[in-house]
Amino acid sequence: MKKEVLLSANQPELGSALRKAASMTSADVAFEVRNAKLQGRGGAGFPAGVKWVLAGGASGAQKYVVCNADEGEPGTFKDRILIEKYADRLLEGMAIAGYAIGADTGLIYLRAEYPYLVPVIEEAASRLRQAGLLGRGIMGGKFSFDVEIRKGAGAYVCGEETALLESMEGRRGEPRNKPPYPVNSGFRGCPTIINNVETFIAVPHIILNGADWFLALGEGGDSGTKLFSISGDVERPGVYELAMGSKIGDLLDLAGAVDVQAVQVGGASGKTIPGSDRDRVLSFRDLPPGGSVIVFDGSRDMLGVLENFMEFFVHESCGQCTPCREGNSRLLDAVHAIRAGSLSGREALAPYLDLAETMKQGSKCGFGQTSSNCFVDIVNRFVLKADGQGGN
Amino acid sequence: MSGRPVSQIIEEGAARYGRNQEAVLRILTDVDRELGSVSEEAMAAIAKCCRVSSAEVQSVATFYSFISTKPRGRHLVRLCRTISCSMKGSAGILAALEKDLGIAAGQTTPDGRITLETTSCIGLCDQSPAMLVDDTPHSRLTPETACEIVRGLK
Ligand SMILES: Cc1cc2nc3c(=O)[nH]c(=O)nc-3n(C[C@H](O)[C@H](O)[C@H](O)COP(=O)(O)O)c2cc1C
Ligand code: SF4
Ligand code: FES
Repeated sequence: MKKEVLLSANQPELGSALRKAASMTSADVAFEVRNAKLQGRGGAGFPAGVKWVLAGGASGAQKYVVCNADEGEPGTFKDRILIEKYADRLLEGMAIAGYAIGADTGLIYLRAEYPYLVPVIEEAASRLRQAGLLGRGIMGGKFSFDVEIRKGAGAYVCGEETALLESMEGRRGEPRNKPPYPVNSGFRGCPTIINNVETFIAVPHIILNGADWFLALGEGGDSGTKLFSISGDVERPGVYELAMGSKIGDLLDLAGAVDVQAVQVGGASGKTIPGSDRDRVLSFRDLPPGGSVIVFDGSRDMLGVLENFMEFFVHESCGQCTPCREGNSRLLDAVHAIRAGSLSGREALAPYLDLAETMKQGSKCGFGQTSSNCFVDIVNRFVLKADGQGGN
Repeated sequence: MSGRPVSQIIEEGAARYGRNQEAVLRILTDVDRELGSVSEEAMAAIAKCCRVSSAEVQSVATFYSFISTKPRGRHLVRLCRTISCSMKGSAGILAALEKDLGIAAGQTTPDGRITLETTSCIGLCDQSPAMLVDDTPHSRLTPETACEIVRGLK
């Protein structure tokens, strides 16, 4: 169901959430976010409040709040629209996070493809500074917090949180081993929380209205609302805000999708389902919603779609580990062979489906662990199906 | 592009960001944005300034697709080739631009005016097909509008 909170025309007064947070203890702010069951909006869905509680409790005089504005997942543009309209709320959310974990510095890692958002963020930051909501001694109290922008340089993998940290430290954006987790050892080795743009923007609403209110917004046990960027074969592409736990069919209708052959939820590394599965749920329980929903109508050649995704993964893999580096190339070769007619049928494709599984199990980071999803889904549901050999 | 010497850009960056590993990517980005690419000499100078090896600077520079170690033109056209744009005809736009400019993707016009590149999703998929020209996004392109925009670049 459509439900507008983050995108609502009636926004709370800027600074009111930060003021309320500052009247609470730091720990209570983190607990409120944890009790709201705010799941990270960048794709992985880890509970934000749990991260905040851990980082708040971690030892270290210097801590950091990092906003992941790398938004590189194909088909995702909700963070761009959020920053264009609500950069001030993002900064307020980050300041609340700083208060909760005891950090005085926030960094926004902004993808290089959004250079035109730099002045938007800077302008919002100076407005907050003038209003005493950023800077030294916020609202006349003891809490200080300010933000700076760090620009990416065109690498999708830098959206992965530890690659992002490497990049901010001036190195190649190659993911780190975990543990240690950033909440203990993140930017410059200090306790760090990393959250998506949308996650931070939800926070002022949670602080003002309370965890129970946020819990009640969701459907079927989920909490809050979620933004979706929808593109492809729809009449009204754009960003829509729905209750978390809504049915995919509701979103398809809002955007005006007809003759839907397939829908991909969660970007290239997400799940690809047949258009007839309208009751599937946009939730970490079913179709993990990063932000991207791409619709393919009956005229689309799904093998061509798969080829485009695999080219993306081959190009964007950081190359650090073998299953991902080699695996994605071999899956792209397989797509070419299917196209040429030299590879067909379940038996011949089985080794590639096995390879996809090996990549899932053996890759170092979320990139290689999910990049074969579209191969498995599209081959099983669309390629073999067309052969009359379909799986489910 | 400015006519500032690379040493000045590096020094200014070092004064702002420090002289350490963390400054490497930031200075590389500044040099690339101002001069269109980062030369061997610039990388050596950055290495010296940030107290890391030249090999390290090289390895950082080559990791990121927005940093080029090859000279580029005065304007950089980056056309998105990812799925939503591809579904709305980015291949036809690329063909039109290549024909109009007389170069292939990845090349620079002989007069040094334009470098044409393709790129992964630039987050404008609600307005596909889309491209970035330097820092400016252009969307809902047709082969005609794309060529017109590019012809207008000085
Ligand atoms: C390959 C890859 C790319 C990612 N890209 C992004 C991204 O662009 N933006 C984002 O917020 N999270 C991205 N993530 C998820 C981050 O690693 C991390 O989970 C997230 O920033 C945490 O914030 P959240 O919990 O608020 O979502 C990516 C993960 C992987 C594996
Ligand atoms: S899985 Fe891929 S992106 Fe992640 S570390 Fe390995 S090679 Fe790099
Ligand atoms: S697919 Fe082209 S901008 Fe996203």
